Amino acid sequence: MLSVAHISKTFGTVHALNDVSFDVHDGEIMGLIGQNGAGKSTTFHSILNFLKFDGQITWNGQALSADDYNKIGYLPEERSLMSKLTITQQIVYLARLKNQPAKVTKPKIADWMARFAVKGQPTDKINKLSKGNQQKVQLICTMIHEPQLIILDEPFSGLDPVNADLLKQAIVAAKQRGAAIIFSSHDMSNVEEICDTLVMLRNGEVVLHGTVDDVRNQFGRTRLFLTTDWSDEQLAALPGVDQVKALGPNHYRLQLSDANAGPAIFDTVTQGHYIQEFSQQPPTLDEIFRTEAGGATHE
Amino acid sequence: MNKTWIVTSETYLRQTKSWSFLMLILMPFLFIGLTFGISYVATPSKDKSDIAVISQDHSLRQSFLDDADVATTTKYKTVKAAQQATTKSDINGYLVLKVVNHQQVSAVFHGPNEIDSGDQAKIQRFLSTVQTQMNVQDAKLTTSQTKALARQPEFKQQLQQKTASNKAAKTISFYILVFFVYLILTTYSSITAQEIAAEKGTKIMEVIFSSTTPRKYFNGKVYGVLLMIVTQLLVYLLGGSLVVQLAQHSKMTQQLWQQNAPVIGKVLHNLLSINLIFALAAVLLYTVVSAFCGALVTRVEDAGKASQPVIYLNLLTFVMAMAFQGSPTSGIVKIFSYVPFFSSYLMPLRLINNTATMPAALISLAILLATVVGSMWYIGKIYGGLMLQTDELGFWGNLKRGLSLK
Repeated sequence: MLSVAHISKTFGTVHALNDVSFDVHDGEIMGLIGQNGAGKSTTFHSILNFLKFDGQITWNGQALSADDYNKIGYLPEERSLMSKLTITQQIVYLARLKNQPAKVTKPKIADWMARFAVKGQPTDKINKLSKGNQQKVQLICTMIHEPQLIILDEPFSGLDPVNADLLKQAIVAAKQRGAAIIFSSHDMSNVEEICDTLVMLRNGEVVLHGTVDDVRNQFGRTRLFLTTDWSDEQLAALPGVDQVKALGPNHYRLQLSDANAGPAIFDTVTQGHYIQEFSQQPPTLDEIFRTEAGGATHE
Repeated sequence: MNKTWIVTSETYLRQTKSWSFLMLILMPFLFIGLTFGISYVATPSKDKSDIAVISQDHSLRQSFLDDADVATTTKYKTVKAAQQATTKSDINGYLVLKVVNHQQVSAVFHGPNEIDSGDQAKIQRFLSTVQTQMNVQDAKLTTSQTKALARQPEFKQQLQQKTASNKAAKTISFYILVFFVYLILTTYSSITAQEIAAEKGTKIMEVIFSSTTPRKYFNGKVYGVLLMIVTQLLVYLLGGSLVVQLAQHSKMTQQLWQQNAPVIGKVLHNLLSINLIFALAAVLLYTVVSAFCGALVTRVEDAGKASQPVIYLNLLTFVMAMAFQGSPTSGIVKIFSYVPFFSSYLMPLRLINNTATMPAALISLAILLATVVGSMWYIGKIYGGLMLQTDELGFWGNLKRGLSLK
């Protein structure tokens, strides 16, 4: 388990991180979200000991040792590989730095290339690959030594939906074998889909923390999806309804001022009859991100 | 697995497998080979340079063949046969020897080109000796008169012990050493700074530093470059031994080698000494500083600029060494022969000219090595911060930000 406790970091007068704390358990995927400059990469850099910081970061209760870094797989935000090497040379070199001998790495390469559908041969030079395939090779470099802690900084950026799905499968597979995984993303649908927990940073401070459902439910089930022959004027006049948005013919999304208004609205609209849809939900992560991540001040 | 060693081996193998390194290593041998090859092609073959000797006087002909020390062939004994061979270019020509009226010896050379000036002198010497003998016989002198006429003047040279060869050896040693050190420092400074800057520009350092410490990585890089230069030196030593063997036994260079053996021996002694350790330590120091310069650049495109400060420093020390080569006892040379960066040129200059003692050289070497170790330690410490600082803030800004990270 990774434990980040009360870490703070300043660059000159800028507070990049302020008393950030969270845990990531084995077999858990945590999403780290926040606007650009919120402190996500600084958090990763602190875990990886790239920076001096205040606070404490431990792995299974101990400060991270040199051996522990062999168990970490890290994908930085900016993709980069050594362009003059072949795919095999690049993967073997980075795996050797993770203490995995070449004789162990080499037999795995073909399988990993197939898993990520990399177009090319292991003997191809990196600079001959397309940008997308280079990104996939870098993902292989991050995961081929089967790390216990995986840190992915914006792993989905630049990937098309098909390749994003391949990456999600790899992340879920790593979770199933017991790895603790943290990734940052601006795409809330990915976070919602595969994360167990999330931490939202704003100006270096944790503003939301918990399981995805808990975080969403904190904001109440104030979104009501409704299919009815009522007009939008009629719906807007109902008690507890702040806003009505037509999503299609007879299909609306109502914004409630209070989640408790739902049962009364249900009774009024249905009058005891069947209706096709009445679904009261908390806001999506994307909506929460839009309202919460920016906050009063932006970096 | 030792991660420093992984980085060392990766750096070493990647660089030594490159064409540029192979060319760097092979260039001197290609140059020597080319020089020998051109000389060989340009020198006429022995058979073709032979001349035939024709004479009715068999004893005179035999005497010429035995004593004249001119490349000859005994294959052709008649004018006709020699003429045909000359026409076919099988021989360079033929020499017809005659004794006219039992009083005068004469020689006429027939050939397409003038005879070699060295051979002309040898023929002239032979003819003079034969003519003198004939003159003595004709004069009917007594034994004592003959002896008196045979008396020769005496000319001897008494030189100070090996002064000439010593001076030549010093000059040659100095130039070889200075140019070798300059070229090798320029080459490796450039390789190191550009490689580090390119790595930093590609942002792969974050991945690498998530696996090993910046210090281990930095040390591995420096050791990798050091292994490269050791490889280059070993190849030069082995190749040099081979060239020496060839030069000693090749007919083309044997004479030249024997004539200059004392100078060559002294030059080799000057090069394969503590001066070599100065050169190696200098490469280490320049490599470390080059890595530092490379780490201060933020974009791949600026990799070329990264090595400039070190290359200019090397140029400055080189120019200083050249300027003071004639005055190794100068006070400036004495002082700077203890200053790292300068000492790699100036202490060997003093040693070659016997103006520095071995203890002085050891003190200078100790200062140089301490500087190497100290700079490796300090730059290794700040290396992570420098390499992870990727904002373009200019030289001092990059340095300041890099120092604040770790």
